[in-house]
Amino acid sequence: MKKILFATCIALFLFACSKDSALEQVAGKSGSITRFAIYHDFMYVLNLNEVQTYNIKQKEHPVLVHRLPTDYGLETIAIYDNTVFLGSTTALYILDISDPAGPVIQSKSDRITDIGFSGCDPVAVKDHFAYSTIKVIENICGTISAQSALVVYDIADKSAPKVVGFYTLEIPNGLAYKDNYLFVCDEGWDQLLVFDITTPTMLTQTNYSFSITDPYDLIVDGTRMIVVTKTDFQIFDISNIAQIKKIAQISK
Amino acid sequence: MQRKTIFFSFLGLLLCLFGSCKKEEQDFFDGLGKKPVYAPLSELRDIRNEPPQPIQLSGTIFLQDTLLFLLEQGKGIHVFNIKDSLNTINLAFFKILAVTDFVVADQVLYADSWKDLVVIDISDLHHIQETDRIVNIINPLLYPPLYNGYFECVDESSGAVIQWEDAVLENAQCVIIQ
Repeated sequence: MKKILFATCIALFLFACSKDSALEQVAGKSGSITRFAIYHDFMYVLNLNEVQTYNIKQKEHPVLVHRLPTDYGLETIAIYDNTVFLGSTTALYILDISDPAGPVIQSKSDRITDIGFSGCDPVAVKDHFAYSTIKVIENICGTISAQSALVVYDIADKSAPKVVGFYTLEIPNGLAYKDNYLFVCDEGWDQLLVFDITTPTMLTQTNYSFSITDPYDLIVDGTRMIVVTKTDFQIFDISNIAQIKKIAQISK
Repeated sequence: MQRKTIFFSFLGLLLCLFGSCKKEEQDFFDGLGKKPVYAPLSELRDIRNEPPQPIQLSGTIFLQDTLLFLLEQGKGIHVFNIKDSLNTINLAFFKILAVTDFVVADQVLYADSWKDLVVIDISDLHHIQETDRIVNIINPLLYPPLYNGYFECVDESSGAVIQWEDAVLENAQCVIIQ
């Protein structure tokens, strides 16, 4: 009896594993800076001031099924927990996709209202918190407009996100997390910043941050981190966050 | 010349002060700025493999199992096998002119190419094939991304913009003030 139970457990375990890896292989992973996203049989494409929904059940022949108008300046899309997060130059949008063929705007957090200035850039979401970098590039307004930042939103209520954290950065780009660590590319400081997000309402910048020229975006792949810069990509071993090691740097 | 620049800077400052930092059409600027590099529209249909090549100006990344897809702005997509971090392999390059973003689902790659959405079968990484194209569905950016200053306006009859390069402008009429 024990043996059968054991065998069943093993079988279940193997089944679960193979299912997981199969799923992962199919799905793949985007970096944080992208305007395209796949969700089951649908693809969302950001087009300046609208979200286009394509049915891709027939993968080789997508069909446009829905267009959701938004303000101008859509820049990045991320899907987490059956919800779409859009970073635009003026707002963080949260879309309800319980009907994936027809996304609906659940909330729009105007950045000017929330934090006093607007800017662009990507969003990473973990549990009930959204982390978004906002970039204001050096310009004529530079001296009179505000700075770039990492902004943390409490999204427990997706229809009314609240800003609960604000951290000044230089020229932030992509971001991603592993467990309780958030990695943020900062092109201005030429740094890959590592934040401890154990307490999302009170981030601390760790001293595990390191120098890297022109980081643009990244993907966490298990114990590896792939960081793309303007002209190459680099692979880091992040199995021990306190000792992040560069394994490779590839430009061709 | 110098006066003009100062005047425009002052005008820009005023515009910013009054909170309307946006793209404005103005007349005639001579000096340093950006100008578009075009590809003929006919060439956009030429989606195919090219030999693997070095990364020049990166963009979107996508990881599918051990394959890393990496955007080359305006030109195409690199594919690397990164299974072994110490011995990554530059496998392929997909020529997709005027591309700015993409995503992969199974063995199909979706990308923008100027005003079109293109669908590419990548089941054989070395012999990719366009399977579908939805035309005139995307509004491409008609100004240099992440840039503030003067630029030569896009002339759509010249083709698709695949790049923005630094240039000495004459009579430039477009400017971005953010």
